[in-house]
Amino acid sequence: MTTERFHWMRTVLRRWFRRGRQEAEMDAEMQFHFDQLVAEFRANGMSKAEARSAARREFGTADVYREEVRDSWRPSAVGDALRDLRFAARSLRRTPGFSVLAIITLGLGIGANTGMFSVLNEVVLRPVPFVDPERLDSIYRATPQDPQGNVSALEFAELKTAVDHYESYGAYVYLDASMAPPGEPADIAPAAEVTAGFLSTLGLQPRLGRSFRPEEASTGRNHVVLLSERCWQNRFGGREDVIGTTVRINSQPHEIIGVLPKAFSDWRLFGWMDFLRPMDLSDARWSDRRHTEFRVYGRRAAGVTPSDAAGAIAAFGESRAAAFPDENAEATWRTVLLQDAAAGPNGPLVLSMLVGLSGFVVLICCSNLANFLLARTMSRSRELAMRSALGASRGQLLRPLLWESLLLSLGGAVLAIWMAYGFAAWLAVRSTADNGDRVEMSIDANVFFWTLACSLFTTLVFSLAPSLFALRLNLNQTLKSGGRGATDSPGQRRLRQALIAGQFALALVLLTGATVFIRGLDALNAQQIGWRSDRLITAAFLLSEGEYPDAASRRQLHQEVLERLPGLPGIASASLAQYQPFLRWWEQNKFSVVGRPPAEGGREPAAGVNAVSPDYFDTVATRIIAGRAFDDRDHAGATHRIIINETLARTVFPNENPIGQSLHWLEADGAAANTEIIGVAEDVAYIYPEANPVVFQAYRSLAQSPPAFITLAARATVADPALLIGEIRNLMQDIDPDLPVTNLKTATDRIARENYQLGVLRDLLSMFAILGLVLASLGIYGMIARLVAQRHGEFGIRIALGATAGNINRLVLASSFWMLLWGATLGILGGIGISKLLQVGFPNMPHAPVSSMTVALAVLMGVALFASLWPARRASAIDPCEALRTD
Amino acid sequence: MDKVRKELLQGTLDLLILKALTTGSLHGWDIAKRIAVVSKDRLSLKQGSLYPALHRLEGRGWIAAEWGVSDAGRSAKFYRLTSRGRRQLEKEISHWQSFAAAMTAVLKMEEGA
Repeated sequence: MTTERFHWMRTVLRRWFRRGRQEAEMDAEMQFHFDQLVAEFRANGMSKAEARSAARREFGTADVYREEVRDSWRPSAVGDALRDLRFAARSLRRTPGFSVLAIITLGLGIGANTGMFSVLNEVVLRPVPFVDPERLDSIYRATPQDPQGNVSALEFAELKTAVDHYESYGAYVYLDASMAPPGEPADIAPAAEVTAGFLSTLGLQPRLGRSFRPEEASTGRNHVVLLSERCWQNRFGGREDVIGTTVRINSQPHEIIGVLPKAFSDWRLFGWMDFLRPMDLSDARWSDRRHTEFRVYGRRAAGVTPSDAAGAIAAFGESRAAAFPDENAEATWRTVLLQDAAAGPNGPLVLSMLVGLSGFVVLICCSNLANFLLARTMSRSRELAMRSALGASRGQLLRPLLWESLLLSLGGAVLAIWMAYGFAAWLAVRSTADNGDRVEMSIDANVFFWTLACSLFTTLVFSLAPSLFALRLNLNQTLKSGGRGATDSPGQRRLRQALIAGQFALALVLLTGATVFIRGLDALNAQQIGWRSDRLITAAFLLSEGEYPDAASRRQLHQEVLERLPGLPGIASASLAQYQPFLRWWEQNKFSVVGRPPAEGGREPAAGVNAVSPDYFDTVATRIIAGRAFDDRDHAGATHRIIINETLARTVFPNENPIGQSLHWLEADGAAANTEIIGVAEDVAYIYPEANPVVFQAYRSLAQSPPAFITLAARATVADPALLIGEIRNLMQDIDPDLPVTNLKTATDRIARENYQLGVLRDLLSMFAILGLVLASLGIYGMIARLVAQRHGEFGIRIALGATAGNINRLVLASSFWMLLWGATLGILGGIGISKLLQVGFPNMPHAPVSSMTVALAVLMGVALFASLWPARRASAIDPCEALRTD
Repeated sequence: MDKVRKELLQGTLDLLILKALTTGSLHGWDIAKRIAVVSKDRLSLKQGSLYPALHRLEGRGWIAAEWGVSDAGRSAKFYRLTSRGRRQLEKEISHWQSFAAAMTAVLKMEEGA
């Protein structure tokens, strides 16, 4: 039994895969039979020729039997499908122009959609690569200034004992660090200091070497580092013998004890980190509740739901607020799934919008193809009518049509996947940061499935119109009128016009969305509130703890830079500051006004604080509205003075002169705590499109609080500041060869890099808009051209009867006018919707939906009219004699 | 006329082949001969039409084929009944018998009326 089954399986498989041999065996078998017949007839006394013809009679038509045998070799449903498929492929090959155009159209549409979905998949859907990621929560201490605020070391320790809804917690703190492999100059290395539970909470193990030991979380013993995979590959050549060797971190020797797995460097979360170092919890600043720098996440214990855990965390936050109101009165604690935190608060909205917009491109493609196929089916209406008259069932009529559509879609899908790979490669290059961190999008099974689903969907959508046409074909009329009568049924024409109108509307929505966004982004980049980026070069550098251990040494280096930099040829002025005016100011400090009753504990206002050198305001072009800027009087030993921004001055001192008043800073001690206001500067806004929570700003003198991580700005006298970059680098090398300088580039480049995701968005939307525009104009052109072709005879008669070219032009344009009017109406509605959506997603971006929509409408109308003008001109040039003859 | 006879045969050809193979493994030529001899030449069929039927039955797993050497010394494809084929044959025979009995009964009633 089993051998028989095996034998049978082999037979069936051979039939599929060894067709040549099967054929040969069949021939041999039948030849043998035939020869036997001939031999028998010969034995009966027939001549050779007689015997052969008798045998042929007796055997029957061998070719028919061969075909039947072949039929028996394949299961019949598959056989039929294969036959239909071959038929469809043949019929597509007969019109290669149409097929290629259709596949390219579909490829562009599905490709745009697949590309967008692959981004959504990468950012939102792909699980973060840790063990049981659904049990990982980010824990925030939200304040009015920062909804994703961090916690203090003390709170972190209390959290661990107070809330047992989490089985383990991890925390990290940004570390501004420089790293120098032996014998190489130091370079800035973005890094973090981590608590003991950091890796184990994520469920990660070093891929090489060992993890941190508990006793390494203390002063002097924490000079051990784990490298990220990327840093290990890029800076250490991926050599395994780096374990145990020494690198200088901030000019102090550290031992490399291991390499983190690749999963750790997911670009959404920790991809930017070059290395990890154990946190030294004995550091004095961690015993201060005001130092909220810990970024915390936890692994929920088995069986604890996210909402239970969120409740426990919120309750813990309330207990902190009650116990320490001065620091926590305004803080509320909340949790977000680590997965959602990785996608970012705006990620799902923006990306869904992109997928939706690319869906519009797909729909435009579909309606174009529906029109193409409809025309193609119409030109075959005689064939269809004939087949239907001969008894073909509905299924038999539609099957070839569906197969053709499916083949086209699959062709488009292949093109789309290819495009998605290209897009991933483009995005990887576009997103590469200076340290090599980049978006490496995986084209995984989800993406393939999406593409397949998308192509099946398009097949259904665009083959619907021609199918309906084929089913409603009026046999009698079609056969009588020679295949031309059917094309003029008003219903069919309305359907096609509706398709074009829909296409026009979709293209208008796309174009509106793209225009609103692009103009908004350009306006955002151009508005430069409180600073100017032209001819400006910026950089950042880090003074390592090893070489510059105290404020005096840091101040000395700052001074040297400030003295020598403006001396370079081509530089008008130069300055140092803790933060660039156009990037985020991390430092948020609470204050009260000296001499006024204090605000309720913990509810004091806060201001973003920057420390700047005297020439800063001139260099970055922040105007001083009242009072003075810093100068030599604000040296290290002088009393601490401060400059505030316009909003702070107006809000806190509405009817008084702020100059001469004093502010008390809650987070500062000693001489820095009470500061006299000496000036008012204009408001400064950063470049990010999300709402800017910082309204109050204040400036300290750099000499009085010299930070280790510092930014540089230099205004050039020449038009192209990029030429000076080399000079500046040489100067910095000359001052200290081991000084790690990063992001030394023009302010314009720096801003573009900082907002590169918006740049990508802008590129994508432009691409969608152009695609939509091209496809829609193609569709309109095709539609009008066909209309003209159909009415060729009619136009000929009109011209023969004396119609002028103008009359004919008007006739053709009028037929497209109503169509476009409908399209425009729908499109304007959609356009309003999409601008509203953009406003929600990017509240800080300037919006001009009305003018944008006008531009979009004008462009689209122009293109549409141009597309209909062409066929119209051809129609008015019809030679009546010829037109009537061919009729 | 020809069409009627062919259709009649097609329904029963499978049964005839299965029956012919009960005696052992045979090649196509032998099967044709055997059907002709047993039916005393009353069931005439185009001999080539055996082959589609043989391949169909092989595809269903009712018969199995193997290349061997014919009496005349030429290589030929020999078919034999599988156990599934044997069961199928029994089923077909009983089908056929009940069908034939029913038909006979109907025809007799017609004569009697």
